Amino acid sequence: MGRVGTWEAWQPDPRNPKQEVAMLVDVSECIGCKACEVACKHWNQNEARIEGFTGSYQSHSNLDAKTWTLIKFTEYEDPESGDIRWLFQKHNCMHCTEAGCVTACPTNALQYGDYGVVTLDQDACIGCAYCEQACPFDAIHVDRTAWDQKAQKAGKCTLCYDRISNGLQPACVKTCPTDCIKYGDRQALIEWGRKRVEELKARGFKNANLYGEHELGGLHELYVLTEPPEVYGLPVNPRVDWKVKAWKYAVQPIGKAVMGAALFGMAINWLAARRAFASAGARAGQGDSGHEGE
Amino acid sequence: MAREAWIRKFTGRQIFVHWLFGISWLVLALTGALFLWRPDPHGTVTGLGVYLQGSVGQTLRTVHRVAAVGLMLAPLLYIVLEPRGFFRDLKELVTITRNDLRFFVTGPVFYTTGKGHVPPQGRYNGGHKLNYWIVILTWIGFVVSGTVMWLLRGAVSVQTFRLMLLIHSLSFFVGVPMALIHLYLTLLHPFTRQALSAVISGYVKLSYARMEHRQWVEEELARGTAELREAPPGAGAA
Repeated sequence: MGRVGTWEAWQPDPRNPKQEVAMLVDVSECIGCKACEVACKHWNQNEARIEGFTGSYQSHSNLDAKTWTLIKFTEYEDPESGDIRWLFQKHNCMHCTEAGCVTACPTNALQYGDYGVVTLDQDACIGCAYCEQACPFDAIHVDRTAWDQKAQKAGKCTLCYDRISNGLQPACVKTCPTDCIKYGDRQALIEWGRKRVEELKARGFKNANLYGEHELGGLHELYVLTEPPEVYGLPVNPRVDWKVKAWKYAVQPIGKAVMGAALFGMAINWLAARRAFASAGARAGQGDSGHEGE
Repeated sequence: MAREAWIRKFTGRQIFVHWLFGISWLVLALTGALFLWRPDPHGTVTGLGVYLQGSVGQTLRTVHRVAAVGLMLAPLLYIVLEPRGFFRDLKELVTITRNDLRFFVTGPVFYTTGKGHVPPQGRYNGGHKLNYWIVILTWIGFVVSGTVMWLLRGAVSVQTFRLMLLIHSLSFFVGVPMALIHLYLTLLHPFTRQALSAVISGYVKLSYARMEHRQWVEEELARGTAELREAPPGAGAA
């Protein structure tokens, strides 16, 4: 257990893009070094965005359109022992099986891609940021440039789709000095994570848990956590909002059907009325329309 | 051909407000409707969806917001410019008569086959009232949700924001079919398109009004408030 050098050689089967890959972050091994943040910026050629010092070692207050992964630092006081623990959680897009952002996207720029990755088509993105409002993890963002009409685009972790589809590891995984980010077959990682949770419990982390196995139909970003998810600010039992679902799966299809029915009805009406009112001609309804005296 | 008498239905101010509202509405509907042609995830970008993208899309977004201001202002201008007409409309709208309801049974038959006829209708017939109500309700839906989406993102909770997206979409799919019918009946339908002159010159043919709005015409004539004229005013005259 522990170090898993063997993961490094793992590649998805290039002939089977439907298989599900995942990343698993074992927070018990994370040292908060931020090498993953740097590697992510580097590989994806995202500009550095320097934020002021806020009293925390956390580099940015939040993910943004050009910051796709971020280690969140939490100072946590154990309610029982009173011990202070410093918790690190690498936060990025969770690549949900049932994703709020994909459901909310009005242009279908966000889609479910191969390997379980949620893909973002930059050309189709119009910067409306409905995805930002729909993501339960606050993991996708659009730059706010209200008066600057430069193309605003959503940005989020791609799970390094360009790398993994070519047999490489995601940049953050490749660089992690403690190998706390594993990358591999999702099911294998879940099994590894369960064992790791048992191991941590045996070592005294009685709150250890595996996060992401069932949330939103299964995340492709898994966590072995040493404290309950809410301590890290992760949503417990997240759901895609019913309002977002209603918009996509009820209002739009039904609304389109009603519009179609209205157009069809009018076409039929026009064909019939043209004949019925032909003799009325220019004279206002003086034709053979049987006018019933009241 | 006999000289045709015409009766006044709308004042110039009402016509101005109608078109400010209508043109704003159409611009908003067309720019919003681009989302109906969004790219298919399993195909290529189709139809008008491409105009959502890039600088064209950003420009259309601005156009949408300019038109939104027109839509918000139109009813307020109506109250300011023509308070009497505004409150008379509201009074008409809350008065739903048996004949208004019967309109929905006899109307579709008559306007399709020319058989039978609608019972005597007031200034606004049952269909007009339905259209007016839907316009008012969707206006509230569009304006409230649109204002939040435009100006209050981040200031309201994500729950509220998602609800506003839903309301905006719902207003579209309720409002657009009604607007399509409204446009069809006043621009294309061989008989009812005669009513279009009411929102251009303000006058409709008396013979048509007698058929379609008998109750209104008789009230106006009885009260002596009917404004009649022999020939229609030039539609294009300012």
